[in-house]
This record gives sequence, C-alpha cells and structure tokens, in this order.
Amino acid sequence: MSLVDLPRYEFARPATLDETCAMLAEREAKREKTVLLAGGTDFMVQVSQGKLASDPLPLVVDIGRLDELRGVRLDGSRLRIGAAVTYLELQRDPIVREYAPLVAQMTHDIGGPTIQARGTLGGNLATASPAGDGIAAIAAYDPIIEVQSVRGRRRIPMAELQTGYKATTRAGDELIVAIELPLPAHGAAWCWRKVGTRLAQAISKVALGAVAEVSGGKVGRIGLAIASVGPTTSLLPRTRALVTATPLANLTAATVDAVVAEDVSPIDDVRSTREYRVHTAKAVVRGFLRELGAPV
Amino acid sequence: MHDANKPRDTRAPVVGENVTRLDGAAKVTGVARYVDDLPAMPGELHGATVRSPLPRGVLRAVMLDPSFDWSDVTVVTAKDVPDNVVQLIVDDQPVLAAERVNHRYEPVALVACADKAKLARAVAAVTLDIEPLPAVFDAEESLLGRTVIWGESNVQNRYLITKGAADADDGEAAFEAALRACDVVVRGEYSTHHQEQLYIETNGMVAWWDDDGVHATGSLQCPYYVHKAFKRCFHLEPEQIHITQAVTGGGFGGKEEYPSLIAMHAALLAKKSGRPVRMIYDRVEDFEATTKRHPSRCIVETGCDADGTLRALKMRVLMDAGAYVTLSPVVLSRGVLHAGGCYRWRDVRIEGVSVATNTPPNGAFRGFGAPQTTWAIERHLDAVARRLGIDAGELKRKNLLAEGDSTATSQVLHGSIGGAECVEKAFAASDYVAKRRRGPIVEGRKARGIGCSVFMHGGGFTGSGERMLKGKVAVDLLLGGRLEVRSASTDIGQGTETIFAQIAADAAGVSISAVSVAVPSTTRVPDSGPTVASRTVMVVGSIVERAAREIAERVEAVRRAGESFAAAGDRLLAQEGPQTALVQYEPPAWVNWDDKRYKGDAYPVYAWMVDVAEVEVDLDTFETRVLEFWSAADVGKAIHPLMCKGQLEGGSLQAIGWALSEEVVWKDGAIVNPRMTNYIIPTALDAPPFHTILVEAPYAHGPGGGAKGIGELPMDGGASAVAAAVEHAIGVAIDHLPLTPERLFAAWARSNSEAAQ
Repeated sequence: MSLVDLPRYEFARPATLDETCAMLAEREAKREKTVLLAGGTDFMVQVSQGKLASDPLPLVVDIGRLDELRGVRLDGSRLRIGAAVTYLELQRDPIVREYAPLVAQMTHDIGGPTIQARGTLGGNLATASPAGDGIAAIAAYDPIIEVQSVRGRRRIPMAELQTGYKATTRAGDELIVAIELPLPAHGAAWCWRKVGTRLAQAISKVALGAVAEVSGGKVGRIGLAIASVGPTTSLLPRTRALVTATPLANLTAATVDAVVAEDVSPIDDVRSTREYRVHTAKAVVRGFLRELGAPV
Repeated sequence: MHDANKPRDTRAPVVGENVTRLDGAAKVTGVARYVDDLPAMPGELHGATVRSPLPRGVLRAVMLDPSFDWSDVTVVTAKDVPDNVVQLIVDDQPVLAAERVNHRYEPVALVACADKAKLARAVAAVTLDIEPLPAVFDAEESLLGRTVIWGESNVQNRYLITKGAADADDGEAAFEAALRACDVVVRGEYSTHHQEQLYIETNGMVAWWDDDGVHATGSLQCPYYVHKAFKRCFHLEPEQIHITQAVTGGGFGGKEEYPSLIAMHAALLAKKSGRPVRMIYDRVEDFEATTKRHPSRCIVETGCDADGTLRALKMRVLMDAGAYVTLSPVVLSRGVLHAGGCYRWRDVRIEGVSVATNTPPNGAFRGFGAPQTTWAIERHLDAVARRLGIDAGELKRKNLLAEGDSTATSQVLHGSIGGAECVEKAFAASDYVAKRRRGPIVEGRKARGIGCSVFMHGGGFTGSGERMLKGKVAVDLLLGGRLEVRSASTDIGQGTETIFAQIAADAAGVSISAVSVAVPSTTRVPDSGPTVASRTVMVVGSIVERAAREIAERVEAVRRAGESFAAAGDRLLAQEGPQTALVQYEPPAWVNWDDKRYKGDAYPVYAWMVDVAEVEVDLDTFETRVLEFWSAADVGKAIHPLMCKGQLEGGSLQAIGWALSEEVVWKDGAIVNPRMTNYIIPTALDAPPFHTILVEAPYAHGPGGGAKGIGELPMDGGASAVAAAVEHAIGVAIDHLPLTPERLFAAWARSNSEAAQ
C-alpha cells in the first residue's frame, strides 16, 4: 500500500500536552476512536494489513512533536526519556550512550535506519507487543512509565503496565509521556542480545535486555527482560530471585535453565517454535550470567 | 596505429569491458517507468481479482451482493472468457475457474472500477459458493494417489534416464545388481522447499483494446508467451496482439509464465468495460497467487569403490507441481538432467516424477529444477565422503567430469570444461583443503566451519528445445551508422540491453553509443524465444552477433576507401532501402538429443562453478552466519565482468537465503507469511563478502569470444556449500532445507539424545 491508497483519515496535531489530554478525554467520553501517532511505524503496518477498525475511521492525533514528550534528561540516578524520542535520537544521545548503553545498543537492532528514525519508545510501549525490542531493553531497568490525562499524571511500574497480549493498564484517555529509568551503578554489567530472523528488518524470536550490579561474587541488583517468549514482555521474576539469592559461583546451568523455563511461556508462531524459544531464552540468560562470572 | 582505411576498427572493443549500463542512469534517477509509473490512460479502470478461499472444491456460483451499487463496476467470470485455457504446455489451467477450484488463491472472478476504494469493496461484495472437496498438499501423499486431484493418478510427468547396466532390457534388475556389487553403497533422502522469487517490482499489467486489436504492457520476461496466450484465449490473429514490456524490476523466473495470466485478466476486463484496465498486485497478492520454486524430495542411492571412485547412481526425484502443470514438465526435466551433478557415473538410473497438489502452481525460478537435484547430489556426496572417511572436496574433485567423459545422459563432453580449474581456484582462494583438515574452530560459543559444492548448469533450452524454438533476432541499419537490435529478450535487471549493445558493437565494429536496443514489443521484435534458461547471452547473444556482423558486412561491401561507416551506411540505405539482418538460431550441428530415451547432448555446453562457504554457527542460538563466500565460475567469456560477477553473487545470495532463512509457511493450502516482514530474505547485513573468480574456458559457439549462460548457475550450489560448512562446524548433517535455527536446534537436540543412548 502506498500513501495515496490510505483512507482519508481525519488528522489533528494539538499544540500542547494539555490540549491533547482534553481532546482525548472528550473523545473517550463520547466513545470515539482515536489513534495516537508518534512515529507511525506500527500504525502503517496495521493499516496496510487491514487490522485497524475502519468503520468509522479513527481520528489520527499526532503527538510526535509535543515538547513534553521530547528530550532526554538525567536527574541524578534517574534517566528520563520522552515518549516521542526516536530510536535514532536515542542512538545518538551522549547521555543515553553513557548511562544506559543497553538502550543505545538496542536501537541498532530496531528495523532499519528508516524505522529507527521514526519509531519511538512510547509507541513501542503503547503497542505493547511481546516482541517489542524497546520494551525488553528498558524493562531491564525496571522503569516507571509516566502517563498523563486530564485526571492527572500517573506513574506505572513496568511490572504493572502489561496485562496481556498487546494490552496495558493505560486508560483510553491517557497517553504515555515519558519513561523513567532508575539507573544501576555507573559501569554496571549489561547485555543486549537480540535473536531475530536476520540481522536487520527483523522481529525478535527472543531478545534479552539485562543489567546487573555485581560485587564480591554476588549479584545485588539485577534486571532481566525477554521479548517474544510470552504474551507480555517476560520479566523473569524467578530467575532474578535465584540470581540475587545465590552466589554466582554456586549457580549451575541446570538450576538457571529450570527457573528460566518457569519464567517463560512462548508459543509456536510464524517466526519460530516454542522449543527453540525456551532453549534460546535459557541460552541467552546463561550467556549473560557467564559474563558475570557464573559457571553456567 | 589503425589502418586509416578501416575507420570501423578504430573503436576499442567493448566486450570484456565494464561499460556503463545503458539502463543505469534512468533507473538510478527514477526516470525509468515501471508499469505502475505509466500515466493513466483516459477512462482507465483499476482491476482486481476475486480468488478462491478454499484449496479445492466445486464452484457452484459466483454471487454479487444485490445491495451493492454495481453500476460503475465491471465484473468478469469464466463465462466471459472466449477460450478459457492458459496456453502453455498442457491445457489444464483455466484463465478463470469455471466448475472447480484447485488451489487457494485461484482466480475466479475479476472486477474493475475507476475508484480504487470502491474496487476493494466490490471485491468484498462478490461471494463464491464453493462446495469443499478433500485437498492434497504434500507431494508424497499425492504420489500415493489415495485422493485423486489431477488426471487419473495425480502424476503429471515422468522421466527416466538410464546409463550402463540400466540400459539393458532388464535395466532395473541389472542396475540393482551393479549397485549392490559396489564396495560402498550409501543411501540418503534430501528435500527442498518452496521459494518465492521476491522480485522488487510486483506483477502488473495495463491492457486496452482499439482498432489495432488488444494491447498489454507490463512487467514481464517473455512477451511472446503472453502473445501466444492471448491468441488462444481471445481467438485473435497474431497481428492483432501487441504485447510490450515495461521497465521490469526483476523476474528470476517469476515473470516467465505468470504475466500471461494477469495480462489476460486485464484484457478481459478491458474488453468487457471498453476501457483501459490496470492491474497491479500488491506484495501480499503477488506472494500468494504467483508461482514459487517447486519443492522436491530426492531419494538417492550410490555405489562407489573403496577408494571413492563413483560407479552407480540411483535417484528418484519427486517434484510438487502445484495445482496445474504450467512449466513443471520442463522444470522436472532440467532437474533430472542435473541430478547426476558434474560427476562420472558408470551406471545411472534417475527417475523423475512430478505430481499435483492443491497449492498454487509452482513455476519457473532461477535454476529451474537444477538447484533441487544439485542439493540432493551434493549433500549425498558429502555423506559418501563421510562414510569413506575422506574429504568431500577431494571426493568431488576425484570424480569430476573432464574432457571426453560422459555425463548421466551419455553426453560426451568436448571443450569449454572449466570445472577442474574452478576447483583449483576456489580451493586455493579459500584455503579450503587446509581449513577442512584443521577441522572446525570453536571460540567461546561460536563454531566455524567450511564446505564446498561443485556443480554445472546447462545453457539454453534442453535437448532439442532450441532447434524447435528457432529464436530470431533482427538488427537494423539506421541513418548515421547506427544499429538497432530488435529482440524479444527482455532486460529484467540482469543487463541484457547493455550486453546486447556490447556484442553488437564489437561484431559490427562500431561504438557502443551507436547501438540501441529496441523495447521488446511483439509488434516490433521477432520471437527470440523466452528470456529464460540462461539462454539470453549465449543463444540470443550469438545471433545478435551474427546479425550485427551481417549488417557490417553489407556496409563494408559498399564502403569506399577512406569513407566512414556512417557515410557508407547512409549511402547503402539511400540506394538499397531499409537494411535488416534477420538471423535465426541454429544449435551446433553435432547436438544430438534423443527425447524418447532421454539420452545424448542435453545441453550444448555447461557453465561450471565451485562455491566455498565459511560459516559461523552460534552454539547457543543456532544462528548461522556466512562469514565468507568464495566462488570460481567458468563463464566461457565474461562480456561484462562486473555484471557477470553481479549475477554470480546475487544468485549465490539468493541460494544462501533459500538455505538459511527463506521459508513459505503453509496452513491448509494458504500462505501464512505472504509478506517481507516474515518471509525472510537476506538483507545487506546478512550478505557475506563474496570473493568471485571468473574462469574463462570459451565456448566455440558463444558470442563475444565464447560466452556461456550463467544467470541460473549460482543458484544451484550455494545451499549445499552452506550446509556442508554447517556440518563441518557443528557435526550435524542437515539434508532437508531450510537450515533455520529452529531446524538446526532440533537436529542438534536429536543427535545429542541419540548420542546419549
């Protein structure tokens, strides 16, 4: 489908966040459908695959230029990323590269340069696909997702955002404003490992985002998140618990594999198989733990 | 210094030079007009296709929603088709399904409307009443014939190639005895999967009718295939049909036979509506409805001496034709003719069978059956080498066909045999022997291995095909010493236009800028045969050369001392009128093929190639990366070395994609992944560095000093080289394509659990 074949969407570009919230509240009250457009990389795919309800056509609201959704800011040990910051901007941002290298690294694996120039973390979170690479990367930091509506601002912990396949606790009148990453100690170990269908323009079969603070052979803080191994981004709670409770030297491949297997629930789909994903999830987690010094 | 009396020789030869592509500037600047770039004609409608949602059934009715406004919509069904047959080899495929549907996506009705948005609603307002029938999706199941879906037994074609003991009256028994008498007998099964051509430009066509008859312009490889199909379907005289190629964005075989169908569809709508009709497939429709590479399953059994001398080859080649015959007989033919690989066999029994399934017809795709059987024989020789405890490369080198040897069809090879040189050069460049001996390199969780494949590909049509085809080319002398080449050979991105200009320029002794190549239109160009079978340069190029030389000789005959070619040419035109050299192809007189016994000179000559792939397999994720890819290819003579290497490297990458990631996923006869998001072709990042060596063992009858056909060659062997390298790296032999991480993981897990027992 080319642009000229698009249905004739009504389009709005409110000037401010407040205006956007008011518009959303009003439409939500009237049960009118709205699409929030940041980079449009999911929207265009949904349109071309006919997956978007078209009767009536939703109002397309461009939020990609709202100041409140732009920019990257470091507040002490918290990194705040505007929801409409593109992957390319993240890739080039010296603060992100310095303080959240995992996020910067992940951006290279998103689609290709054109997608990177359009796509945003906020969009990735709103779509809430379990295959979202951006979500797996930031989820390793256990971030807070800030959403806004006329009712005020709400801070949603990552673990409480996704409720099921492409479903979140964000209400219809709320929009994602920013992602706040509580940063681990500077120089903490990290890993981004995407296993895709090819080296670019690929959707993940398995993708691991991981950060860890290690001292004295023990892991203090750990963040693990894997894409595409369940209906939501998998945060691997049992694996995290095992790793923080056990000296690295005492971890074994078998115990790690066992908890990872409990933490993930992948399916067979067009991209891969359940068996392969379980195996690969175990393998990439062990790969990270090996880097930390575990004999797994 | 050149002789002042011979101005036409003052130009430096251009054959062998990397001249600028004639079509290059227009394509990179966006000036070139592909079919959907052609401006809309007055009153033009958009056309769309209503397709079967079921894989097999009785078509009871085509129903139009009475509540829909059909006043500005044209609808065409089978009863609007004058002669409802797609003219090709067998008359089994309807232009529009009439009583039965035999595959998912089969065209049943056509609609046209000026408003594209309304057109989509009109398609949805057509309902098909189909009573489902049991369907068959698997070739082995089809061969069993429990459910008959085609003919009397589902079998469309059979071929048998015999040699040595198998030639006897009791051939089968005699062959078995010879096989069993061998020191080492190895049996194996090898299979390959569908592959989508995935040309950049999807299929598309514009058709209209006027006082001259019917016109169709679009993306195509073979204008005269479309011409023949129209002649049959519309019962027209040849001169009433005008088929013209638009600039075409890739084909790979996918625009060999399919454009006939979409062109007839557009013309049927145009006829009924009285308006020009444009039909452009989007990617999903193109992916679902058009042809793919035939899946295959080969059972191979060979016998050899203890020292690795190959003796007996038995192979059963099974190909899945899809719902209709289309080109499957020819694909199967090329498949069995390449089944013996490039090796000496004393006794041969190769049986080929193609069967119908209720899937879209499989069709032409670069390699045309040869990649399937090359996969089987190359993987099998890897298995034989494993059994013998020698290196596969050594086994292949030892048994390689050479001057005077006879092939599986008892063709005795003479001349232009570059196989051995390709082996030496590819092995040397890649350090193959030492790397194989050293064994895999495991660093951390990555294992590296290397593997090779050795193969050849016959140029031109099989057997007596070229003799029957009688391809023709015309070269005209124009004012100002210019030449125009008129042929039906299309440039679909592979460089035909440039190469024909190079050949003609050197043959006539004129500058390449004095040569133009006509747009292939059946109204203007003779039937040179289709743009297929690695025949464009080798076969059609050779008559371009002869025709250009003939024109030059006519000019030369009237040229006065000191006179330029242009001046002499102009005078010839003024005195004698138009000058056209029309030349028909004649295969070399010694080509002798027995179509009944499938014996003799299957092809006049073969191009040879050796691939060496070095891969790295991730031992955690089983992702395979091709790190380096070396090839040496005997091309006879490279007319344009850069484009020649481009063909070889592009074809190798297509083979790597087929080997590692491309997979059409089916569910009940429907394609689950009909888009580029999840049908995984390699990107530039996935492509390895290619190290391509051109070997030139000239073919006496090839143009430009001996060129052979190489368009398909690189598709044949890339997959088996990659699989051999993967086996070297991780010790798991995969005999069934593709080698996705999931399949490698499953095979590895299986071999581990077997080892544990």
